[in-house]
Amino acid sequence: MADVLTETVLPEDLKRFEKIYHEQLYKNDVTPKAQFEYAWCLVRSKYPADIQKGIVLLEELYKTHEEGHRDYLYYLAIGTARLKEYSKALNYVRSFLAIEPGNQQVITLQQTIKKKMEKEGLVGMAMAGGVVLAVGAIVGVGMAIAHKVKS
Amino acid sequence: MDEDILTTLKILIIGESGVGKSSLLLRFTEDNFDPEQTLTIGVDFKTKKLTIDGNTVKLAIWDTAGQERFRTLTPSYYRDAQGAILVFDVSNHASFAKLETWLNELDTYSTKSNIVKMIVGNKIDVKNREVSREEAMKFARKHQTLYIEASAKTRDGVQTAFEELVQKVIQTPALWESYAGDNIHIGEKGHPPQSGCGSYCSLV
Ligand SMILES: Nc1nc2c(ncn2[C@@H]2O[C@H](COP(=O)(O)OP(=O)(O)O)[C@@H](O)[C@H]2O)c(=O)[nH]1
Ligand SMILES: [Mg+2]
Repeated sequence: MADVLTETVLPEDLKRFEKIYHEQLYKNDVTPKAQFEYAWCLVRSKYPADIQKGIVLLEELYKTHEEGHRDYLYYLAIGTARLKEYSKALNYVRSFLAIEPGNQQVITLQQTIKKKMEKEGLVGMAMAGGVVLAVGAIVGVGMAIAHKVKS
Repeated sequence: MDEDILTTLKILIIGESGVGKSSLLLRFTEDNFDPEQTLTIGVDFKTKKLTIDGNTVKLAIWDTAGQERFRTLTPSYYRDAQGAILVFDVSNHASFAKLETWLNELDTYSTKSNIVKMIVGNKIDVKNREVSREEAMKFARKHQTLYIEASAKTRDGVQTAFEELVQKVIQTPALWESYAGDNIHIGEKGHPPQSGCGSYCSLV
């Protein structure tokens, strides 16, 4: 089941908000709203290049639009975590909690990121899993042969 | 690890800002209440296991921000949800009047036509009530949704709300059996289908 770090944006949603952003960009009049909505879609893309682009847009917003600071920090943490840049993600989380300690939503995100790191940190386990798979494959071959002999 | 889980269900919480959506979620998942509950950013996510009639399901609960500036994007989180909790504040009639809009939005963006809907009238601990139980029940009946009154503060009705919603979803196998990617089992009541995500998925 998808969580905040794995659910993805629908391509048509991404396109819709990309279009609005680019129309405004063309007129040299990008609103923070349009930029945020486009960035929010980008960081939920399955393509790392999109996520990267979303992060750049959010960093820019963070510097220029103080009103939305907490929103930008939150999605910067999500974007960087999705790129597996976990220490960066946790830094954004920490900056957020320095301003708003006890924010349940961000504490949950912090736990989700840490769990993901732990899972991916278990290289030894993954390799052991690979061995099990290989053994399974051999057993599979053996069974296939046994099957042939029978018939 | 997850072998005894029947399925994972996606549940949405929607409604106007300030009605207590995040507070209901916090009460349900952590049995806690924060009088200074902060505004949700975009969409929050929490999971919780729930056992009903001997069936354990995992709930993936998406709590949306009701604030205007997030409204354009929150509906993109509605897809594939099997259950939705629509919250209003019984001490705020305007939040009740907006339910019609929320129901419409749900109908527009949810991808499952038989999604189970529940209306929750929250903050029944507050003295100056503006929406009566009768008025809310009449509305719920008209829109064929479940209705429960609750208080995230005193925990009244909170557990019941989630349990009744989930029970109704479980009783509608078409909602979740196909979700598990296992259409073949539909109608075979005696054999609960395997969860779409066995223990291996969590490693990816
Ligand atoms: N008295 C009372 N206050 C509540 C209740 N539920 C939430 N609140 C308060 O209402 C405010 C808004 O709650 P919140 O959960 O953030 O609403 P949301 O915007 O719908 O997520 C917060 O100050 C909560 O502490 C309740 O059942 N009773
Ligand atoms: Mg909230």
